[in-house]
Amino acid sequence: MRTAVGPSVAALGVVACLAVPLLAHHSFGTEYDASKKVKLTGVVTNVAWTNPHMRVYVDVTDANGKVTNWNLELTSPNSVRRQGWGKNDLKAGDKVIFEGYAGKVVESRASLLSIAKVDEPERKLLVQGGPQEPATKAN
Amino acid sequence: MRRIAATLLALALPLLVPSHAQRGAAPGDVGQVNVGGTPRISAADAARPVPRMPDGKPDLTGPWVGGGSNADIEREGGLKPGELPLLPWARELRDTRKTEDEPYTACLPMGVPRVNPYPWKFAMTYTSKGLTQIYVLHETGDAGAHRVIYMDGRKHPEPDDLFPSWFGHSIGHWEGDTLVVDTIGYNDKFWFDSRGTPHTEQLHTIERWTPVNYGTLVNELTIIDPGAFSKPVTLKFTATHIRPDLDLLEFICLEDNQYGKAGGFTPASERK
Repeated sequence: MRTAVGPSVAALGVVACLAVPLLAHHSFGTEYDASKKVKLTGVVTNVAWTNPHMRVYVDVTDANGKVTNWNLELTSPNSVRRQGWGKNDLKAGDKVIFEGYAGKVVESRASLLSIAKVDEPERKLLVQGGPQEPATKAN
Repeated sequence: MRRIAATLLALALPLLVPSHAQRGAAPGDVGQVNVGGTPRISAADAARPVPRMPDGKPDLTGPWVGGGSNADIEREGGLKPGELPLLPWARELRDTRKTEDEPYTACLPMGVPRVNPYPWKFAMTYTSKGLTQIYVLHETGDAGAHRVIYMDGRKHPEPDDLFPSWFGHSIGHWEGDTLVVDTIGYNDKFWFDSRGTPHTEQLHTIERWTPVNYGTLVNELTIIDPGAFSKPVTLKFTATHIRPDLDLLEFICLEDNQYGKAGGFTPASERK
C-alpha cells in the first residue's frame, strides 16, 4: 500500500520551507525534520482527540509486509475542531493517504501535513500548515 | 445620551459583525489552517468602532489572538536584535537555553506577556459594585489557569505578604480608554518566549491595553526588572479580534503530552 518511501528531499525541499506546520504548543523544529517529508498510505487504528495535541495513528505496511504504526501529530483538539473537523470525519479502519514530516529521531512519529481517504485522495480531510517561525537564536 | 448610545451600540454590535461568522466549516470541508488555526475577522469588521459596556468603558472582552510575546519577545515587541537591555548573565542564559526546555512545553503556564496563536479573552466581571475583576482566560497555554486583575481599587499586598507566582498580583485601573495593569509578585520560572528570555522575582510589569477599533487592541508593556534588565524597557504588541462567535474550548494540557519523543529528547522538566 505504500506509495512513497521516506524522504523526498530534492523534490519537496522548497515546499517544505514554505509550509512547515506550526505546532502552537511547541515548535516544529525541535522534533520534526522539514527535509524528511513523507507520503504514505495505511489504515487508521486510532483517532485520539487528546491534549495538548491530537494524534492519528495509522498502520503502514511496507513492501516486505512489515507493519509500522505511525503516530501523526496534529494541533490541539480545540483548534482542529475549529477547522470544522468532527469526530465522525475520520475513524479507525479508514484507509488513508497522508503527508507529513518525519520525526528527527523517531521517523514514524510525524507532524501531519494533510490526510485524505484513499478513495478520495484529492479531498483533504485536514490540511495543516502555516508560516515557519523565523529563527530566534542569534546563531 | 452617551450611555444610552453606547449601550445600544454594544447590543447592536454582534448583529453588525460578520455574516461570515459561521460556526466552523462543514465536516470534511476543511481549509488551510493558518497560524494556530484561529479564524480572524475581516479588515472591514476590524475597522468598526470600539464596542462599549453600559458604563461607557471599552468592552475589551474579545476573543483575541496575539498581543504578547511568543517566539522572541525582543523581535515581537518591536525591538531590533540586541536592543533588549538584558544584563549580561540574563543574555547568556537566554542564548544557552534550549527551546525544548521551556516550562510551557511541559504544560506549565505561559506567564506574562506570552501568548500563543489561540484565542484568549478579558472576562470583565461586573458585580453590584461595578467592574470588580477582569479575568484573563487563555484557551490554550495556561494549563487551565486563569489570571485575575483586581479592578476594585485595592493596592498590592506588602512584599512580605506576596509569594512568587506564575501570574503575580495584578491591579488595574482605567486611564481614559486604556486599561492599565500593574503586576508584581511573579516567580522566575516562566520564560518570556520560546527563545528563553529570562526574568527574576523582581519583575514588575505595567501593561497598557488600548483599543484602537473593534478589531485591534494594543498592549504597551513596560518591563521593570533590575535583576535581569539594565533599565526598564517598553515593548509594543497588538492583539487581533477573532470571530466573535468563537467560544473558548477545553484544553487539558497534561492529558497526553508526548513532547520530545519524535525528537528523541526529554524536556528539562522531566529530567529532574
